[in-house]
Amino acid sequence: MKVTYNWLKEFVDLKIAPRQLAEKLTMAGLEVTALEERGGDFVFEIEITSNRPDWLSVFGVAREVAAITGKKLKPPLIKNPKPLPARQAGKNQDLAKVSIRVENKKDCPLYTAKIIRGVKVDPSPEWLRKRLESVGCRSVNNLVDITNYVLFEQGEPLHAFDLDKISGGVIAVRRARDNEKITTIDGTQRMLSAQMLVIADKDKPIAIAGVMGGGESEVTPATRNLLLEAAVFDPIAVRLGRQKLALQSESSYRFERGVDLQTVVSASQRAVKLILDLCGGELVAAVTSGSAKVKTESIAFDLAASNSMLGVDIPPAKAGNILKALGFKSRPAGRMKLGVCVPAFRQDVTSEVDLTEELARIYGYEKIPVTVPRVMPVILPAADRDFAGKIRSILIGLGLDEAVTYSLVDNNSAAGLLADAPLEVANPLSKEQAVLRTTLIPGLLKSVATNLNQKQQYVNIFEIANVFSFTASGHREELCLGIALCGVKPNFIAEQGVIKEEASMMHIKGALETLFHRLGLGNYAFRQAGGGFEVVFGTEALGRAIEISSAILGRFEIKGRRVFAAELNLAKIFKLAVINKKFKPLPLYPSIARDVSFLVKEGIPAADILQAAAGEAGALLEDARVIDYYKGKQIPAGLKSLTISCVYRSQERTLTEEEINPVHASLVARLKSKFGAQLR
Amino acid sequence: MDIDAIYTQIKSQIETAASPAELEELKVRFLGRKGMIADLTGTIPSLPAAERAAFGQRVNLLKNNTGRMLEEKMAALSVSGSAEERQAVDITMPGVAQRIGHIHPITQVVEEICSVFTRMGFCVVEGPEIETEFNNFTGLNIPLNHPSRDAFDTFYLNSKLQTPNSKLLLRSHTSPVQVRVMKSRKPPLAVVVPGRVYRPDAVDASHSFMFHQVEGFVVDRDIKFSDLKGVLEVFAKAVFGKEIKMRFRPHFFPFTEPSAEVDISCIICKGRGCSVCGRKGWLEILGSGMIHPNVFKHVGYGAKIYTGFAFGMGVDRIAMLKYGIDDIRLFYENDLRFLHQF
Repeated sequence: MKVTYNWLKEFVDLKIAPRQLAEKLTMAGLEVTALEERGGDFVFEIEITSNRPDWLSVFGVAREVAAITGKKLKPPLIKNPKPLPARQAGKNQDLAKVSIRVENKKDCPLYTAKIIRGVKVDPSPEWLRKRLESVGCRSVNNLVDITNYVLFEQGEPLHAFDLDKISGGVIAVRRARDNEKITTIDGTQRMLSAQMLVIADKDKPIAIAGVMGGGESEVTPATRNLLLEAAVFDPIAVRLGRQKLALQSESSYRFERGVDLQTVVSASQRAVKLILDLCGGELVAAVTSGSAKVKTESIAFDLAASNSMLGVDIPPAKAGNILKALGFKSRPAGRMKLGVCVPAFRQDVTSEVDLTEELARIYGYEKIPVTVPRVMPVILPAADRDFAGKIRSILIGLGLDEAVTYSLVDNNSAAGLLADAPLEVANPLSKEQAVLRTTLIPGLLKSVATNLNQKQQYVNIFEIANVFSFTASGHREELCLGIALCGVKPNFIAEQGVIKEEASMMHIKGALETLFHRLGLGNYAFRQAGGGFEVVFGTEALGRAIEISSAILGRFEIKGRRVFAAELNLAKIFKLAVINKKFKPLPLYPSIARDVSFLVKEGIPAADILQAAAGEAGALLEDARVIDYYKGKQIPAGLKSLTISCVYRSQERTLTEEEINPVHASLVARLKSKFGAQLR
Repeated sequence: MDIDAIYTQIKSQIETAASPAELEELKVRFLGRKGMIADLTGTIPSLPAAERAAFGQRVNLLKNNTGRMLEEKMAALSVSGSAEERQAVDITMPGVAQRIGHIHPITQVVEEICSVFTRMGFCVVEGPEIETEFNNFTGLNIPLNHPSRDAFDTFYLNSKLQTPNSKLLLRSHTSPVQVRVMKSRKPPLAVVVPGRVYRPDAVDASHSFMFHQVEGFVVDRDIKFSDLKGVLEVFAKAVFGKEIKMRFRPHFFPFTEPSAEVDISCIICKGRGCSVCGRKGWLEILGSGMIHPNVFKHVGYGAKIYTGFAFGMGVDRIAMLKYGIDDIRLFYENDLRFLHQF
């Protein structure tokens, strides 16, 4: 909201420079977001928080300025203009016969109408035009400008109807009927519905209450007689109406936040005075429905508790003065206790803590000391977050970069990826953000595509984030790990040349094996599935790895590249992880190693060979693993070369060559007989 | 020839060898197929039968010792290297190392923030991204049809299972975790909550429909506004540097009262005014305040027993300020040229 320095000066004796005033307002909770010199005046743009409708006017801000600068507030001088006695109203007497019918008091606790006859609608005088323009309001004509002027000055929205366009001498405040229509003053025809509050004459709605007037009854240069409305409408009714119509106005903005009943009276009087002065005419009637009387709230305020919550020591006299300057009435009510009466314009103040805030604001947040609380540390058991951190550091060590991608995605993004039914957003911004993702893979593919477009040779990324889906019992929100690998990574330059690594399914497997090992997760198995594999623990699936099909890659505009991806359910894995590792004593006796290189048929799985080796060699074989693998020109087609390293050890004695030679020989013989291995 | 004399000769030659190449030559001369030791072995058949075994054993020992000495010397040479060899290394070539990955800058900033608070004794708790309307709004003293809701435009979910009383939504802030923690635990509490949050904002350089927050709160008997100032000062100085200035401005949040927005002196212009701080010299970094009694009421804490403070900050914004990033979208594009800078 905008206010000007000179306008404020009408209500408070300003001795402080505009820049300093801006600083003080900001530090009192009226954040000045811009200060601009304009035509000999200074315009303050202030961000008003939604709890303070009383600040949505020049007078309201002036009250605050008076409190923070220690000056007196000068209320606008308003004489209550009296309507002409009926006998003087002469031939226009029938005009004064307007009745107000309020359908529901809750919707409109107070409605006042002033009937003025014989006005002359003209352009506004320069002072009025300039002042409105300085706060960003376009000048229309003297009548409309006066209603806006009083709106900005006092915060009470007013509306002027052309009295001659109101039929039946009736002003009804009622809920609209379904399919009623109105053309508002912006020229738009709007369809109304039953929950909207309207002002109507005998036949039809003439305004959307508190939001915008109707075009038919609006004031024009031809208007001679008018009805000036000043009223209070139910904040929720106004809010629902303007939301439904997507129509925000200065008026609805204030009614939604709450307009003070007593301001209705003063604003209406102020406007009538200005109209009679600037537009001529006579006030012939004043009609009111409802009452401006409000029950004043009284709060028993424990200043000691308030001081203690702030960490300050404000004495009762000072507290009383601060509250008084803000318009509260306070009286001592025992030691460090005050009885505080809340003024009608402060509907936001209902409890002690509200008063504490008022004290703190005016006392100054900057004067509150700086202390540190005594914090009792609570050690919680390791949570998902700790495991996620561990996984992150393992994957970083493996050379993967962490990505963060959007949780909201296109409904089609997971097509072809065996995804569950997604949860839909009821009010998405666009089709691209219509559902919550059921898998992390599409987000990673999008990032892979972004980077390939940037001519990156390789993209190895992962993300740790939640996935969501429908389930029979409601919805699922589970932490997952997604990995995507693509391209050739030049690992480092050695004397032999560049050591390169091309992403493959085995890199995915290697990353997962490393993860599981470091998390202390044994007893899992990789199971071939489709173009990739599944990770299972017993019967439970922990995740999967796939090579992304070219059809899916095409959707992400990735061409001519292979992309390998994996997704693991971390929620399940964390339950299986072993936090407390146990030490295994180091072996006492030396080992003897024997390597065996041989050719076998390509289709024979390495695991079968190792298993057979272990079965044959017995307890002395501590470990057998594949240490070399070759397939290519130097080997007959259909065969592969494997080298297995066998480590023999006894827990009771130093083994001798003589002891091991026959064991190893029978192992080799077993490989020959079972798999047709040909020694190299 | 006397084996001992040969041993001495071999030993001294190996010891004086200056390069691996020289050592290779010695190896051929001593252990090669036509080398000294092979010659000795060749003489065995011509010896008297009684001496053969003993001589053979001594030759064998000599062979083993020679092999060992050669190996040891080779190892020693390769460690120390000769002067010429050291010059042969071009130290302007790239060093040899595995390429390790980079942690996303958002994660790094979340970790940094959480770590400052955990060092002060806070614990870290997380909560779900799908929330109930109660936890996101009502429990936090944000009435359903009130303008204060406008600051929290929210994505709602189309869930077939939800009832009108428990509408599901994507949390628009991390504050619902306050409600969750307070409902399940009694004070004293000192908690920080990092996480993703969602608001239907059109994406541009400074807005994103998904971003990150860290929420924090402390509840106990006698927690004061001055404690809030102290804790946040420790935080801001730890993250932005000891030299920054801070100010607490009154503000309005439905779930705290009194409420404050916290500014730090602009880290770019040091408070003189620049385009980053909009010529104000101050940067707003977080919202905070004393927890509203209505929040305590909603979680079932007795009236007037506890006080507490809460604060919340946007991680993306803090990361942008800290690293000088001018476009929030960079966080979610995952361009490696961006990620590799952190």
